[in-house]
Amino acid sequence: MKTKGWQKIFGFTFIQYVKTKSFIIGTIVLCLIVALLGVGANLLPKLMSDEEEVFGDTSMTAVSTDAVYIYDNCGIFVEEDYAALTASGVKVAQTELTADEMLDALVNAKNEAMLSITDIKVDDGMGGEMIAGYNVKCYYSPDAEDDAVDYITMMTSQMVDYRNMLNCGVSPENYAATQRSVSTSKIAAGSDEWNIFESALNYFVPILASLVLFILIFAYGQTVAQSIATEKTSRVMELLLTSVRPLAVVIGKVLAMGLVSLLQFVLIVLVGVASVAVSAPFGIVGEIQEMMKSAETLTGEGAQIVEAVENTLGNINPLSIILVIVIFILGFVFFALIAALVGASVSRMEDLAAAMQPYSILGVVGMYLAYFPVIGNLDSMETGAASVNPVQIFSYYFPLSSPFALPSALLLGTISVGQVLIATLILAVFVVLVAVLVAKIYEMIILHNGNRIKFADMIKMATRK
Amino acid sequence: MSLKVDSIVKKYGEYTAVDNLSFEMTKPGVFALLGTNGAGKTTTIRIILGMLSSDSGSVTWNGKSFLAANEPIGYLAEERGLYPKYKIMDQLIYFASLKGMKKPDAIKALDYWFDRLNVNEYRDKRAEQLSKGNQQKIQLIAALAPNPDLLILDEPLSGLDPVNAELFKTVIREEMKKDKFIIMSSHQMSTIEEFCSDIVIMNKGQTVLKGDLNEIKKGYGRVKLSVKCEGDITSLAAQCGLVATEVTPNGSSFDVETEKQAHDLLNRIMEQGIPLIRYELREPTLNEIFIEKVGADNEN
Repeated sequence: MKTKGWQKIFGFTFIQYVKTKSFIIGTIVLCLIVALLGVGANLLPKLMSDEEEVFGDTSMTAVSTDAVYIYDNCGIFVEEDYAALTASGVKVAQTELTADEMLDALVNAKNEAMLSITDIKVDDGMGGEMIAGYNVKCYYSPDAEDDAVDYITMMTSQMVDYRNMLNCGVSPENYAATQRSVSTSKIAAGSDEWNIFESALNYFVPILASLVLFILIFAYGQTVAQSIATEKTSRVMELLLTSVRPLAVVIGKVLAMGLVSLLQFVLIVLVGVASVAVSAPFGIVGEIQEMMKSAETLTGEGAQIVEAVENTLGNINPLSIILVIVIFILGFVFFALIAALVGASVSRMEDLAAAMQPYSILGVVGMYLAYFPVIGNLDSMETGAASVNPVQIFSYYFPLSSPFALPSALLLGTISVGQVLIATLILAVFVVLVAVLVAKIYEMIILHNGNRIKFADMIKMATRK
Repeated sequence: MSLKVDSIVKKYGEYTAVDNLSFEMTKPGVFALLGTNGAGKTTTIRIILGMLSSDSGSVTWNGKSFLAANEPIGYLAEERGLYPKYKIMDQLIYFASLKGMKKPDAIKALDYWFDRLNVNEYRDKRAEQLSKGNQQKIQLIAALAPNPDLLILDEPLSGLDPVNAELFKTVIREEMKKDKFIIMSSHQMSTIEEFCSDIVIMNKGQTVLKGDLNEIKKGYGRVKLSVKCEGDITSLAAQCGLVATEVTPNGSSFDVETEKQAHDLLNRIMEQGIPLIRYELREPTLNEIFIEKVGADNEN
């Protein structure tokens, strides 16, 4: 049997690799980075927000300077406007100072501001003037916080707008009606709709997933090439081939590095999950968990978040996890077999970098096919249309890109399990075809010494009877 | 037990690396595979080991189709190879396990060979930390540990200092005593003569000479004459129809067509009263036979 003894190659390769310092240090560093990212992604949004909760009412926080002096130069405000501003948290204060004096005083004041309201007049074309608009100018003491300045300015300008409308004969009810916003969505009939959080998940997760999978699958594929090239150039291969056939060497190495890669992948995921879980009570994940508990009572943004999380979690089940692992393994084997061929084609280690170029191009093309179409879906965050473009669909079925694109699509529910099974089957068929091709060429080139064998020469070998 | 290589042919495109090579080992001992660089020795060894498939012909062991992966076989390659970064013991256990040895048996065998070759102190070192000679010992251990019936040693003594070369020779002799079948390839003809009973000389893929070394030498007869005298014997040699092939401070060498020519020269030296220091009429050495057979073809 051509593959007899692969288990021993597998065992030795696996054990020796996980014992190397580079692997141990690399794994620790990766886990630390992932743990920091997990904790950071959970805590940073909360730390950067002054509010108790990151999610909740999207209206601006009621924060004012200690005193707000309003100079209504055009007489638009009535008494109740000041009361309304005070009620909304703007600390309206009285002063005897003129506007110029106040401006001077503000330089040394502590957390105070003055608002100057003026009207903008233009020629009405009939020899008179008409009010074309209003200007609300906010002067503030240097120590005043930006949020407070923004808030009092916004509230005052809104109040000017409101009073202007009332002065023009618009009733308060009609004014409220004019504040209704209009948004647009373009959704193809029959397709799903995403809320803003689902759109964000469907935008960022595939990009991150394709990058991480590319690094794991591609980098370990390179390790396979390096390992085989080392054995060939150090002549260990000749010793191995007195005991096993070349195909057993390839299978043992590819599967061993595949297991190393898979274990590192699982470890990284576990560390990521653990870091988020441990820091959950202190960050946004804790908030989301709280929202999930009271999902039925939530409306607006909170409900959208819960919907996005529930939809994503709903796709994670034993079948989808198994499929992700199968896709990962197939993808790894696909690229590692090609890498093994590249490793066997060189007789000197210094030729390996040049020999790896076609392999690198294949990997990068696959990753870009999985990566770039997702970027094209950025507008889904505005429109709400569940946007999966044709190139993205192609990337699910194309063997070079499917290992990078399928896992996130499956977990996000972008494509159905049936479609994933078809895509996985296509990938599996290509893996078998590549394996047959590699098996045929590998035995011919593994003992070749001399110039590097080019890809075209390998194809000629494979087609030769 | 017997190893039979029967009419093997290996071509690379238009180039024939091995052309219809046949030989047989019917009894234990050392068989020499000789040839200049590029003669086809390594290709032959790789075919025997099953690393390469021949275009035609066969290799059989005890009458059955031979596959190195299924048979106890030890191989010391010409270009040595160890994993530079891995511990010696780890990789030797691995190589032994590929030969079908269980770990405890492998450790036991390795313990013996570490002692025998005086490399006990290196078992936990990485290969890159060892000298070339010690790496060669480790490679020999990898070949011997599974206690194979068939050993293929490609240039076993190259690069060794005289002390370690002697150690290797002693080990090879011990293996011969264990009735091992050994195929040895070397450019050191004196070593081959020391061990080998049967030889094949290859030149550009072709078999130019094969058989029992003693018989081959007998076939040539005693045609090499070396004489050292305290005087010039050039004219005496010419009278016998002899022209020196080599003149050195250590004496003169002649190729004789018949033993009578040599006897005539000896008689004339005696008659002239020239003091004779050394007189040797002998069969050609393997080195001389090798150069005769392949030298002209391979001179640049």
